[in-house]
Amino acid sequence: MDNDRWLWTLGQELARHQLGPDAVRHVVAEAAAHLRDSGQPALRAFGTPEGYAAAVAESLAARYGRPARPAPGRVRLSARGITKRYRRRTILRSVDLTVRAGEVAAVVGANGAGKSTFLRICAGLLTPDAGEVMLDGRLGYCPQDAGTYDFLLPDEQFVLIGAGRGLDRERSKQIGRAGAAALQWRPAAGVQTRHLSGGTRQKLNLVMASMGEPDVLLLDEPYQGFDRGTYLDFWQHVWRWRDEGRAVVVVTHLLSQLDQVDQVLDLTPASEGAAA
Amino acid sequence: MKILTVAEMAIREMVRRRAVLALLLALPLAFYLVRRGDQVGQSIRFLLIGLAWAVSTAALFASGTSRPIEPRLRLSGYASHHLYLGRLAAMWLLGIVVAAPFFALVAIDHGDQVRLGAVALAMLFAVTVAAPFGLLIGALVPRELEGTLLLLVVVGLQMMIDPADALTKVTPFWSSREIATYAVDHTGDEYLTRGLVHGLAFTILATAVVALLSTLRLRVRLRAATSA
Amino acid sequence: MDQERRGQWLRGVLDVCVLALLGRRESYGYELAQALDAAGFGQIQGGTLYPVLLRLQRTGLITAEWREGASGPARKYYRLTEDGEQALARLSADWSVFAGHVDAVIRR
Repeated sequence: MDNDRWLWTLGQELARHQLGPDAVRHVVAEAAAHLRDSGQPALRAFGTPEGYAAAVAESLAARYGRPARPAPGRVRLSARGITKRYRRRTILRSVDLTVRAGEVAAVVGANGAGKSTFLRICAGLLTPDAGEVMLDGRLGYCPQDAGTYDFLLPDEQFVLIGAGRGLDRERSKQIGRAGAAALQWRPAAGVQTRHLSGGTRQKLNLVMASMGEPDVLLLDEPYQGFDRGTYLDFWQHVWRWRDEGRAVVVVTHLLSQLDQVDQVLDLTPASEGAAA
Repeated sequence: MKILTVAEMAIREMVRRRAVLALLLALPLAFYLVRRGDQVGQSIRFLLIGLAWAVSTAALFASGTSRPIEPRLRLSGYASHHLYLGRLAAMWLLGIVVAAPFFALVAIDHGDQVRLGAVALAMLFAVTVAAPFGLLIGALVPRELEGTLLLLVVVGLQMMIDPADALTKVTPFWSSREIATYAVDHTGDEYLTRGLVHGLAFTILATAVVALLSTLRLRVRLRAATSA
Repeated sequence: MDQERRGQWLRGVLDVCVLALLGRRESYGYELAQALDAAGFGQIQGGTLYPVLLRLQRTGLITAEWREGASGPARKYYRLTEDGEQALARLSADWSVFAGHVDAVIRR
């Protein structure tokens, strides 16, 4: 990796750690000055850009850390006593979840624990056998897969979703492309969705869900196939949506981010049968 | 506006499937050519059935590819009628585009022997009925293979059935058959009228059932907060 | 000296050394690295040095300013604040005591 490339990556990584543009510019410029003065290769002087960015972010934590969060607002989504059976098997047993504006809830549980089912019930796409979901505001829903048309271009999918939200074509494309860029993706002209990689398709899926400024975002493991950087970007988006006062529900089986969410709903039965 | 966008995307989706388009055209053509040696009437009747079959199959598949995506569209601000009406409009347009060259073919081949205006009308009705019929099957039978087989049964029945049988009047494409008879055999107006009424009634009925099923399937089961 | 040991010791005192160097005169990152090298610490990598500078700046012990150098392009110059001077005095006293204890134990 040459020094220019290293410095560019550093900038990206610093932005991922939510440093402001000024802070990013200063850190990158200082590193560049050091490299020029010392004549050293960047990797030797600073290590990997990811590692150095993390060290810088940690050093600056108090000053440039996430801005003070607004207090959680009103209840945006409230699911009460949700019970769902498939045939004789009870998937969900009296599950409750309340998410306020400016909160992130993680839904975890083993495969088959009913995470996606619960999210579909929250989205109003499935009728629970018992219980009720109350929604306040506009909903954005990112299904786990199959949320896109194979033969349409990403731009066309943006237009399709945008039209539903009452946006005109240009505005829809603009919003969609901006969302894509924020996930390090620039849709190539004329490439149909079926030719995108799994991770890129998930980005498309996620961008579509967040169009139209939803108040409540329901995200069903939308980061499968993401590389590590994009995965971090995804969580940056989650924090940003939260700080903008949206209510976010993320289905996940990865536990690494759980210490940072406001609540965790574990759908794994306490012990099969004894949970009743 | 929303209906138009759905229609536009459904058409774009369909026309990018080159093989599907080729088959859409090949099916009525094959039907026509196979019976070309017979009387004029038979070849045109088979052409109409081929056309109806092609369009209803396209509609069936369009409904299948959209099925997993419709919930998200519904949650993104579309009402269910935007979705099925948009798709219906797309299939109608597609059907007319597919029918046009066949009309030209009939006009060149038999233009002097038939009522051309009525042939056009019969084609129009084949398309008009086939689009909602394909969507209807798609709504009734979620799996594409089963839907395709069901369509095959219906079309097969339509082809085999004795025209004198009373049952023929409940087959979906009877309207275009009647109009075709009027066009080819120079019968009286009653065939035309019967065909028009049957075609319109069937279209309205099929669309109504599609609307009902779609609205049921895509209903949003949420209680909105009073403050929203 | 074994590299790992050197790194461990350095981590504990690098901020004190940086404060001490800046107590003599204001300086920028690369110059500090050279000064530390000349003092016998060996080469201090940027990845180690700058996070320390940023932390000292954050806690208000040093301030920074971007300036054109006499020769060459803009550099970020650091200098001690009043808080930094007090901290340096306290830390160097602490270090003398601490190093005395270590000496006493080792040489007995």
